[in-house]
Amino acid sequence: MVSRDQIESVLGRIRPMMQADGGDIEVVEIQGNSAHVRLTGMCAGCPSAQMTLYVGVEMVLRDEIKDFEELVVV
Amino acid sequence: MRAPGAFSPDDIVVGHSSRMRAIFDFVKVVSRSDSSVILTGESGTGKEVIANLLHHSSSRRHQPFVAVSCALFSENLIETELFGHERGAFTGAIKDKPGRFEMAQGGTLFLDDIDDVPLSMQVKLLRAIQNRTVERVGGTRSINVNVRVITGSKRDLKKMVAEGSFREDLFYRLNVLPIVLPPLRERREDIPLLTDFFFRRFAAARGVAAPSVSSAVRYAFARYRWPGNVRELENACERIVQTCTCGAVRTGCVAAGVLFGAGDPVPAAATAELTAGDTQSISLDDRLRDVESNLIIWALKVSDGNKSKAAELLSIKRSTFGDRIARCGLMDVGATEPGDVAVGVPA
Repeated sequence: MVSRDQIESVLGRIRPMMQADGGDIEVVEIQGNSAHVRLTGMCAGCPSAQMTLYVGVEMVLRDEIKDFEELVVV
Repeated sequence: MRAPGAFSPDDIVVGHSSRMRAIFDFVKVVSRSDSSVILTGESGTGKEVIANLLHHSSSRRHQPFVAVSCALFSENLIETELFGHERGAFTGAIKDKPGRFEMAQGGTLFLDDIDDVPLSMQVKLLRAIQNRTVERVGGTRSINVNVRVITGSKRDLKKMVAEGSFREDLFYRLNVLPIVLPPLRERREDIPLLTDFFFRRFAAARGVAAPSVSSAVRYAFARYRWPGNVRELENACERIVQTCTCGAVRTGCVAAGVLFGAGDPVPAAATAELTAGDTQSISLDDRLRDVESNLIIWALKVSDGNKSKAAELLSIKRSTFGDRIARCGLMDVGATEPGDVAVGVPA
């Protein structure tokens, strides 16, 4: 099972840039090997931001955390 | 930009970097000549743009500009592509076909990816360029061609000559006027200018106003390595303009790969000591910039983004600190809004 710390440490690398823009990517909960996240702030309602960010972030998570399965947008 | 007619001088962005300025000055000088030019640079650094510019500022500008990538064709096909063929030369050759050399008659022929031309073809190319004649495949008559040859290479041909994979005689024939295009990461000071240019252009094509760009996005763009160089930056800007729903470019618009690339600490190689066993070439300027930008990030972090304090920590003048930050691509100082602080120091 993946840990919240693992997820947070990956997200931590891009978080300062998102926060500088008044946004964030928030980990709501970990379920098994999947993480439920929410995009908050400026880009929250933008469908393009969901695509570019979630898809890319999921790829990096899968790449760097063995067993990581899915990023779920809630 | 592949089509010859598509080139316009508006596609040219000179930029602030001294290396690019030197290149454009050199282009002005050599565009009047008919000698061979060889453009060396990584993929996406603008070889075809410069080739276009050379042609369009030469006296041949009213004649055709033919660009062809030598990497596109197999060993057999490349000969018929470049030199053409006669009817009946081989199965399927149902009519005469002029090659690229003939199509460029009176104008300029840009042979890109010359480093991918097989050795067997190199000798034929040398003959054609040297004698200014081509023979179509299956033909016997020599056709005079008056073309200026510009070549593009992503590899250092001189090294390939040393390794024996490129003919020395062809190299010297091509290498009359060499131009080396720097990768984007070695001229980061031009990233803000190029970013604005591409956003403006794609927005205009879409019929919308150019979007505003947040400092965090500028920071990410300035830090990312851009392995695909200007072409990758261009594509990133196009994608953002096509997908933007709010008219403002923020981190949410930027591909995660760019953000992660920008957020990653400078690779250990930048500080690692070299031993006699290391034989790969490195860029001194790149490394010095990495060291400089690491120290600036550290100082800004320690001083909570206060530039005067940070300059003091680094024992440099406050007045030159902004220039150093910009030179390292840490922050587009000029474009930062007053209320917009400390974006230069995430991580």
